Amino acid sequence: MTRSGTRRPRTHRRHTAALASALALATLAACGTSSSDDGSGGGDAVDTAQAAAPLDPKTKVTLTIDCMPPATEKAELKQWKEDVEKFNEKYPNVTIEGKQTDPCLEPPRFTAMLKAESQPDVFYTYFTDLQQVLDNDGATDISAYVNDRTVPALKDMDPDVLDVLKQDGKLYGLPYSNYTMGLLINRPLFEKAGLDPDKPPTTWPQVRAAAKRIAALGDGTAGFGEYSAGNNGGWHFTATTYGLGGDIVDEGGSKAAFDDATGKRILDNLKAMRWDDDSMGKTQLLKWGDLQKQMASGKLGMFLAAPDDITYMVQNLGAKYEDYGMAPIPGQRATLFGGNDYMIKKGISPDKVKAAIAWINFKFLTPGKGQFDWARTKADGLPVGLPQPNFWTGATKTAHDRARAANSTMPVANFKAFTDNRVQGKPEPPKAQEIYKVLDTVMSAVLTNKNADTGQLLDTAERQVDQILANQ
Amino acid sequence: MSAPTLSKRQPPPPAPDAGAPRIPRDRAAFRQALKRNLTAHGFLIGAVLCFSLFSWYPMVREFFLAFEKRENGRTVWAGWSNFTYIFNDPAFWQAWRNTLLFTGLALLLGFVVPFVVALVLNEFRHGRGYLRLLVYLPVMLPPVASVLLFKYFYDPGYGLFNRALGAVGLPEQQWLQSTDTAMLSVVIAATWMNMGGATLIYLAALQGIPGELYEAAELDGAGILRKIWHVTVPQTRLVLSLMLLMQIIATMQVFVEPFLLTGGAGPEGATLTVVQLIYQYAFTFNNYGSAAALGLVLLVLLAGFSAAYVRLSRASEE
Amino acid sequence: MTTRTLISPAQLARPRGKFLYWSAFALVLAVFTLVFVGPLYWMVTSGLKSPQEFARTPPTLVPENAHPGNYADAWGVLDLAKLLGNTLYYALGALAFQLVLDVAAAYSLSKLRPALGKLILGAMLLTLMIPAAVLVVPQYLTVLDVPIIERNLVNSPWAIWLPSVTNAFNIFLLKRFFDSIPRELLDAAAIDGASPLRTLRSVVLPISRPILGVVSIFAVVGVWKDFLWPMLTLPDPGKQTINVGIYSLAASVTENWLLAALVIASLPTLAIFLVCQRHIMSGLTAGSLKG
Repeated sequence: MTRSGTRRPRTHRRHTAALASALALATLAACGTSSSDDGSGGGDAVDTAQAAAPLDPKTKVTLTIDCMPPATEKAELKQWKEDVEKFNEKYPNVTIEGKQTDPCLEPPRFTAMLKAESQPDVFYTYFTDLQQVLDNDGATDISAYVNDRTVPALKDMDPDVLDVLKQDGKLYGLPYSNYTMGLLINRPLFEKAGLDPDKPPTTWPQVRAAAKRIAALGDGTAGFGEYSAGNNGGWHFTATTYGLGGDIVDEGGSKAAFDDATGKRILDNLKAMRWDDDSMGKTQLLKWGDLQKQMASGKLGMFLAAPDDITYMVQNLGAKYEDYGMAPIPGQRATLFGGNDYMIKKGISPDKVKAAIAWINFKFLTPGKGQFDWARTKADGLPVGLPQPNFWTGATKTAHDRARAANSTMPVANFKAFTDNRVQGKPEPPKAQEIYKVLDTVMSAVLTNKNADTGQLLDTAERQVDQILANQ
Repeated sequence: MSAPTLSKRQPPPPAPDAGAPRIPRDRAAFRQALKRNLTAHGFLIGAVLCFSLFSWYPMVREFFLAFEKRENGRTVWAGWSNFTYIFNDPAFWQAWRNTLLFTGLALLLGFVVPFVVALVLNEFRHGRGYLRLLVYLPVMLPPVASVLLFKYFYDPGYGLFNRALGAVGLPEQQWLQSTDTAMLSVVIAATWMNMGGATLIYLAALQGIPGELYEAAELDGAGILRKIWHVTVPQTRLVLSLMLLMQIIATMQVFVEPFLLTGGAGPEGATLTVVQLIYQYAFTFNNYGSAAALGLVLLVLLAGFSAAYVRLSRASEE
Repeated sequence: MTTRTLISPAQLARPRGKFLYWSAFALVLAVFTLVFVGPLYWMVTSGLKSPQEFARTPPTLVPENAHPGNYADAWGVLDLAKLLGNTLYYALGALAFQLVLDVAAAYSLSKLRPALGKLILGAMLLTLMIPAAVLVVPQYLTVLDVPIIERNLVNSPWAIWLPSVTNAFNIFLLKRFFDSIPRELLDAAAIDGASPLRTLRSVVLPISRPILGVVSIFAVVGVWKDFLWPMLTLPDPGKQTINVGIYSLAASVTENWLLAALVIASLPTLAIFLVCQRHIMSGLTAGSLKG
């Protein structure tokens, strides 16, 4: 389902999360007043009031939507069809016309689609695509349409997740799935090295010590693995920095914020693991896919990952769920998150927008239904139990997590360390890919050059990132 | 040179009837010219359409793109801002340094090695077909296969090259994973992949050298090196300079080898090339304007080499 | 071979010369075989090994347990039949388009002397001066939304076929060859009342076989070896070429399967090469020397 693409988030330019949510509050307040003045205050207000009402069951529209499961994913496709049937019981005149796109999103195809304005009414994107979609004027502002009546679980949805789908306070998408990063461990290797896989490391000194033990097993085994190519190195440096409470870009979004004691600590630690302990293997310049391959073949003890990396290893590399465990990101101060969502094409009729939101709500955002019908997922022989998606809070989260655990098909205890320590999610920095490119250089330097000067590397990178942020 | 273009400059076709009145004959000639032109352009139209859509139009578009940017769903005039963006990008100068280094190394290896190989092969009276076949073999492999092979060989842990070095007691190398050797490693792989073509062309050129020239040089008491310097090189000078320019033009555009070997940038950006950077701007950052601007810079630089190439190959025709 | 080369025959005839010649020959033969066949041998045998044997230090020269099944597995897991089929489809389509459109254009430019022909030829040759890498971005944007016909060609074979026609070098080669066909031959056909199309078919094409062979081989091999363009324009896994498909799956299969897949992917072009060796080699030297 979600593959490397999810993990390779792409360009976006946003205000900081804080600013965005402040604006969101402001607009919500504004909406409140304008819709209360009885719809006589002008066209906008009428639209807003009408938009807020849920879909009229008699509405007759046809809705095109991508990312319908392909024929090869029999169980998922069956569920999709069942859900369309159930949805049609309530809204008999809404035709859901699914398009099988596999994988759901491919950057070049996505770019092409936006440029040609050929996206379906409801289209799949990554969290990081918002800016690109808006640059192409591709999505409807759905702020007025989304409320507690149209999306009942809205109040228990993680506000951090909703924030990344907003710009200038306007909401452009609804989440489908999300991930937060943690430390993925190879349980058999932990046991072989005499470590307790139920108590995975939670700090970098512990990671280093465990990596050393695992690498001592010999036969080309590496204790800890890290990326340093394809912008993945910069992405993981960011994740590590967040874990230790640091930041990549300052609040104002204009200056680099990683050239400090935390940044140096990260690099010095990696350098020590690579060169002093020799616990990271000799092969470097790795990118997404390489570490998964090493781990699935039993040659790697730990790396930073999202939970569905395990699914990838099981489905593509013949690995077994029970061999893996997850711990929270070392440091636990914050963790990088990302995910995917549906947006609604700009310029379609309000009825279609309402139908789209009704369908997204039914299929993807209703606990116990659609994608959250864990009992059915288990009955259909699909894996249940990965701590992903992970965007509920409050009472909904409690009920949801209980249902997921009750139907799990894998030893969820292995993820206990990860799920019990909920870490605050944090989105990617602005101009993420451009910054990651600079940080890739830093990571590759530390992992390939025994004499790398970490302080100087950070100074250079800081200068370059400042330049990127100031550029244009 | 080739046939004159405009039909009216053509000698009139042999008149079928010399005694016919003047004016009708002109009209007939005109009609015939028209008919010929219609047919001729009918044959041309397919290719011309393809060129218009996929070559000429993109060429024009490249210039416009460099001065445009996207803002809120609209394309707006960007002035020189795409250019200031690339000149301010720290990777810009590094990419140029790397590209020039690659070109330099590729000329040392990719230019000299095939020539020497051709010189050696040309001396053999046996097995020449087989050896020629061998040298050209890698050219026919899909680039992904050759590049991935080298990736395995270069691996510092289990790679064949380090094993071979270890076996003969030499220190192991980091190959692609060190700023000192990364680019050289890319060039070695690229040379292996591409030297076949150049070698065969040199071989053909060597066979065109009149044997008497060597005999004359021998009468003057010249040794092998002097014969190469005074006979072989001058005799193949034209081919050599053409190939040199062609290689400069080709290597400055290197993309696939570093892209597949090091994922693009390599250790500390040591294998990031200009075309790699164009690719990143366009397809990672969705910044087509800056990609086009960088493309224009590359174009201007290479245009000089291209012009020299065209002049030289004109010279070779005469 | 009787051509006189660098080293004089007299020198070679001496016993010392003979000895040196043969030892140099043996050395070159061995080194070349190692350098150029060695990697292929490694690729084929590694494809036969089990993952454990592949990872062994030092490596085994001959696989202890040959697993030919790896090749079958690689064939199935990477869906090589589809990837090869796609590539063949694109290559043959590009070949057909180039043979029809480029030959027609070159024939017209060479023999039919259209108005503005020289200008058109000049504009075509101009594209040779523009580095391909520079054009990739605007070409890609064009394919996203082709002017006039207003189509998005991404994931469609037309994205390969139509741009492949813009091969100015092929047109140039063909035109040069056609230029060398004596006018009298065509005039004779014209007097017999043959249309230009018939003249092309029955007079020009039969004597142009060698150059057509060269152009065809380059057209097919060009598509087969291309990487960046198909990666950009055919992102759909079901439509990818063999190069791009293997590249994008490389991370998700074990090494021995990947190597087996690489061997299979290399076979078609190697086969073309071995069969059409002479054509390729002569075409290469003819083309580049005069181009």
